[in-house]
Amino acid sequence: MKIMPWAINGVAALTLSASLTAYADVQIGALYPLSGGLALLGDESYRGLEIAVAERNAAGGLKGEPIKLVKADAVDAAQAVSAARRLTSSENVAAVFGSYSSALSFAATQVTELAGIPFFELGAVADNITERGLQNVYRSNPTARDFAQGTITAITKLVAPQLKVNPTSLKIAIIHEDALYGTTIAAFQKELALKEGLQVVEVLPYSAKAVDLSSLILRLKGAGADVVLQTSYQNDTTLFFRQIREAGFAPKAVIGAGGGYSMQDTVKVVGAENIEGVLDVDFPQFQTNEAGAPGIAAFAEAYRARYGSEPRSGHSLINYVGAKVFLDAMAEAKSLDAEDVREAVKAIDIPIGRTAANIGAKFGDNGQNERAQTTIMQWQQGVLKTVYPPAAAVAQATLASQP
Amino acid sequence: MEIFLQLLLNGILLGGTLAIISIGLTLIFGIVRVVNFAHGEFLMIGMYAVYLMNQHFGVHPYVAIIPAVALLFMLGAGMQRFIIQPLLAAEGHIQIFATVGVSIALMNAALMVFGADVMTVNNPSGLGTGSVGIGPLRASTGQLLTFAVSLALVGGLHWFLHNTFLGRAVRATAQHRNAALLMGVNVNRIYIFAFGLGCACLGLASGMIAPQYPVFPTFGTFFVLTAFVIVVLGGLGSLSGALIGSILIGVVDSLAGYYIAPDLKEVVYFMIFLAILIFRPTGLFGAGRGSE
Amino acid sequence: MNFLHPRVYLSLAALSLLLIIPFSTGSNFVFHLFILICSYAALATAWNIVGGFAGQLSLGHAVFYGAGAYVSTLLMLHLNLSPWIGMFVGAAVSIVLAVIISWPCFRLRGPFFALATIAVLEVIRLLVINQHDFTGGAAGLAVPLKIGAEWMLFRARWPYLLIAFGFLVITLLVSWKIKHSRLGYYLIAVREREDAAQAVGVNAVKVKLIAVVLSAALTSLIGSFHAMYLTFIEPGAMFSLELSIQIAMFALIGGLGTLSGPLIGTVIVLPLAELARGWLGDAGSGVHGLVYGLVLVAFVLTIPQGLVGRFGERVSRWVDKLPGSRTSSPKPKVSIRAAHLSTTIGAPILVAENLHRYFGGLHATNDVSLSVKEGEIVGVIGPNGAGKTTVFNQLSGFIQPSSGVVKVRTVDGQWISPSSPAEFAIAGIGRTFQIVQPFADLSVCENIMLGAFMHTRDPEEARQIACEVAALTDLTQLLDSRAKNLTVGGMKRLEMARALATRPRVLLLDEVMAGLNPTDVTKAIEIIRRVRATGVSVLMIEHIMQATMTLSDRIVVISSGAVLMDGDPQTVVSNPEVIEAYLGKEYNHATA
Repeated sequence: MKIMPWAINGVAALTLSASLTAYADVQIGALYPLSGGLALLGDESYRGLEIAVAERNAAGGLKGEPIKLVKADAVDAAQAVSAARRLTSSENVAAVFGSYSSALSFAATQVTELAGIPFFELGAVADNITERGLQNVYRSNPTARDFAQGTITAITKLVAPQLKVNPTSLKIAIIHEDALYGTTIAAFQKELALKEGLQVVEVLPYSAKAVDLSSLILRLKGAGADVVLQTSYQNDTTLFFRQIREAGFAPKAVIGAGGGYSMQDTVKVVGAENIEGVLDVDFPQFQTNEAGAPGIAAFAEAYRARYGSEPRSGHSLINYVGAKVFLDAMAEAKSLDAEDVREAVKAIDIPIGRTAANIGAKFGDNGQNERAQTTIMQWQQGVLKTVYPPAAAVAQATLASQP
Repeated sequence: MEIFLQLLLNGILLGGTLAIISIGLTLIFGIVRVVNFAHGEFLMIGMYAVYLMNQHFGVHPYVAIIPAVALLFMLGAGMQRFIIQPLLAAEGHIQIFATVGVSIALMNAALMVFGADVMTVNNPSGLGTGSVGIGPLRASTGQLLTFAVSLALVGGLHWFLHNTFLGRAVRATAQHRNAALLMGVNVNRIYIFAFGLGCACLGLASGMIAPQYPVFPTFGTFFVLTAFVIVVLGGLGSLSGALIGSILIGVVDSLAGYYIAPDLKEVVYFMIFLAILIFRPTGLFGAGRGSE
Repeated sequence: MNFLHPRVYLSLAALSLLLIIPFSTGSNFVFHLFILICSYAALATAWNIVGGFAGQLSLGHAVFYGAGAYVSTLLMLHLNLSPWIGMFVGAAVSIVLAVIISWPCFRLRGPFFALATIAVLEVIRLLVINQHDFTGGAAGLAVPLKIGAEWMLFRARWPYLLIAFGFLVITLLVSWKIKHSRLGYYLIAVREREDAAQAVGVNAVKVKLIAVVLSAALTSLIGSFHAMYLTFIEPGAMFSLELSIQIAMFALIGGLGTLSGPLIGTVIVLPLAELARGWLGDAGSGVHGLVYGLVLVAFVLTIPQGLVGRFGERVSRWVDKLPGSRTSSPKPKVSIRAAHLSTTIGAPILVAENLHRYFGGLHATNDVSLSVKEGEIVGVIGPNGAGKTTVFNQLSGFIQPSSGVVKVRTVDGQWISPSSPAEFAIAGIGRTFQIVQPFADLSVCENIMLGAFMHTRDPEEARQIACEVAALTDLTQLLDSRAKNLTVGGMKRLEMARALATRPRVLLLDEVMAGLNPTDVTKAIEIIRRVRATGVSVLMIEHIMQATMTLSDRIVVISSGAVLMDGDPQTVVSNPEVIEAYLGKEYNHATA
């Protein structure tokens, strides 16, 4: 009756043999959401990594061996755990790069840490990813706190002056998707807003998979919100914009924190005229001054050559920059063991404004890049232009027309 | 006060949408006496069908209703004929597992074929989106149209069941299967028809809501639990119960989302659901055949 | 447990394969697969206690799984409590949750119970997300990575496998113990025919609650373990409808209500789906679920009783041919006959005083008073629709009288007024039903055992009693046949036998001879005489006058809900009012 054991043995043999042949290249895991609601930005992020790996391979690879990227798709945290497990055991990767989504990162790093494999986070923002005392987790991008700070700065330095009012007179509503990404940024937004003496009238979480936000919008209307700070992925962003039009709710300013707010696809669905003037705080995107971001044009060129289209958002850029920094460090390291990699990463020292994404690179004990920051951008005529800080700006912020 | 009225209006209109979705479910249960756990997935398939027709032929979702209705009728009839019919004599839990299995299979098949990405229909004409003002209140045009259609649907079905021969045969079968058999009614055919009809309503629903909602493989799960709440609340097998139940739940959804919290509104109506199941299982208008 | 029996040693050998294979291949992937198999098999086995044995289809079982995971993780995070202890706290929480949920929901049948459990699962999931300050919300909780056996966190894989295997063994043991105990039989009885089960003294709610509590506790323990294995928990994965359906599915495929079914179902389906997901990578999102869905539908349409249900008997027969199966255990000495003759023969033992019962406006029972003396056979006759069965129902607790009192004299001479069918049964009132209600899928012996269980916990004793009763009711030849295969006569005798096994002091027979041919009627008369000889008083509703006349010491006539007459057989039968009630005025005039 028990034929299964034989089959299992056969499978085991196959998997073993598969992993044996892989020792020729250096395997690097790439853990991103490549399907599901986050697929678009996950894939965009992955492309940045791909370009960085291609450049490194062109420069000789790692320790003389070419790098082979092993893709691992994870739609949610549970899948991130199994993907990380698979990468660290049967695929035997030397390191894992990822992941765009804070939820995925949080879950996957638990596994890689236990397995003793370095995890390089290139795009997820939740601060606690690097606050657990883990030894082998590093992150090159700015964190949720930086994002939140950016949105508050947008209010105090851009919105209030434009409206010619005192920032403390504005009623601010914070809405966010209720997973790690939205919750962490929103929490910081509230904290920083209160520190600046700003009025926060509502803080409303909602499920990223919600199909209807009308009651929430009514709450905002009822509270008389002037400024809405939203932290959302793509679907909830488009849903929000459609429904505020239907409800006839027109706040004086809408400020996003990355996610759906930085995507060309969002504009396509929402309509350029409906998103005109909306502010967005995120990693630097492409309409950034070359002076503040050397190499940004070259990257855009490489992207176009490889994928035949314009970059869909700035995620590829930030992933590319972070991956490049880490891969260069790995090449310098004595070996690819976790200890040596850690030493090499600690030795990195790049000033701010010297990478294609305007960030610098210096890693603290917790693995977080202390020289990462966000920029503030605005949608103008369907193009996302950097408006702050002045060094990286290509346009001026205007609040003439809001949706 | 204005906010409250707006919430009420939103709720009632939402009820219209929920009604079209729930009517099929109550019909199927009232007649075939099967709880179709795959109801949400049929809706999802309808939405994908509408989406595909919109993408490839450029038709407006409202136009795509006709083929969607036909497609879903056939799917429903097929499900009854090939999956439920062989199991009619089996114990209840076998039937549950069958419909649950279909639900899982359909959801994952959609995932494989279409991917998990969220798709929206192209609606250049804008018909079905946008809003109109009613005094100081605003109403989404799509929802208004859907509400009107749902009333028409309930009216139409009621007329059908009471004024046509087939309709009467359906009601007879629902009330007493064996007696209907003795009267010469081909009960199996009635069941197939009823299941098909119930699913055809979903075809109608999918076309109406496509301009307002995006489609993705797990879309059905959003509505199916709400539909069950409505159907039990209104009384299984009762059309008017489904309509009134939908409006009630729509209003609860709207008010709870505002006065309590947007992320807790489902908790409110699931609690209502549990309360009904425990204290009044026949529902508000149930014909005495309750959940016991 | 007899270790020499081939069924036992073969099962142990098969179980050990779950450990041997991963250890011998040493591959991490295989370890992971087998950890999953052991955990899911344990979950499915635990689920089976409620879904299979008790027949309550719970599709929200993940609520206990998630509760276990969250409680142990939170305790570890905030109180530094080891998960080995935390998991028992989690189990306690789950038990409380189980009782709160199940009590009101038990009377829901089939799909509605399933829907209610789904609703509960969703409510809990949403509440956990909402209370994010406490539970981490949708973002989830990371298990603090303190490596060490006392924290159930290891770098290597094999300790997890051992723990998962341990849980599997525990759930299998609990399942086995239940199946072979009185609780197991009771659960099956309640699942099949709750009414009939109550008539043999089974407290349906209590029995189902015990099943749910055991199942919830076990599920919760495994949830706590999984939290440590995954090192990251979030509401969507822990309170997952998909998980609940999966474990129910494994149990179904293996065979609901069987012991090894859930394990076999898991072993067959889970690797299929996991391998599919692994091989197809990104193209494969959805394949995993599609496989599950298709397999489920295929099984339901072809082998609804599951693999063990279908092939189990054949395999058992084959296995029993192996050495070691011919062992006999000593038979306990029990008997249904009373130890000594009762000294209270002739004194009233069951008394009804001024019973009234209304159904809306219908006065179904109108001031009925009767009493049964110990050792008597009392016949109850009357036209159809007179309300005889209604009176019986009030005498056995199935209907509460609108007014009036029913008293039973217990063995020690006390008079009590029981209120539920189970209480009546325990007080000594046994009854049969007009429409026979055997437990169709059980054997005749098992059916009778259910009655015997009222006075003993030991299945062996119950079996003994069943054999004795079978002798009394001419069922010895049929002891091993399935109840549904009996003839009408056999089923009627089975009804009596089951009631007799409860050692009643009064036996209420409701038209036991309806539909019997003359030979069977004669046999039945014999049996009733034998029954009275063992010291049981009999109150019988009958239309077959031959039987009523030969057997009854006294006849009570009920017409239009009231007692028309109560006296010795000859007087009653020639009374003109009685004839008129049965046959109508015209007949009376015709004979006059």
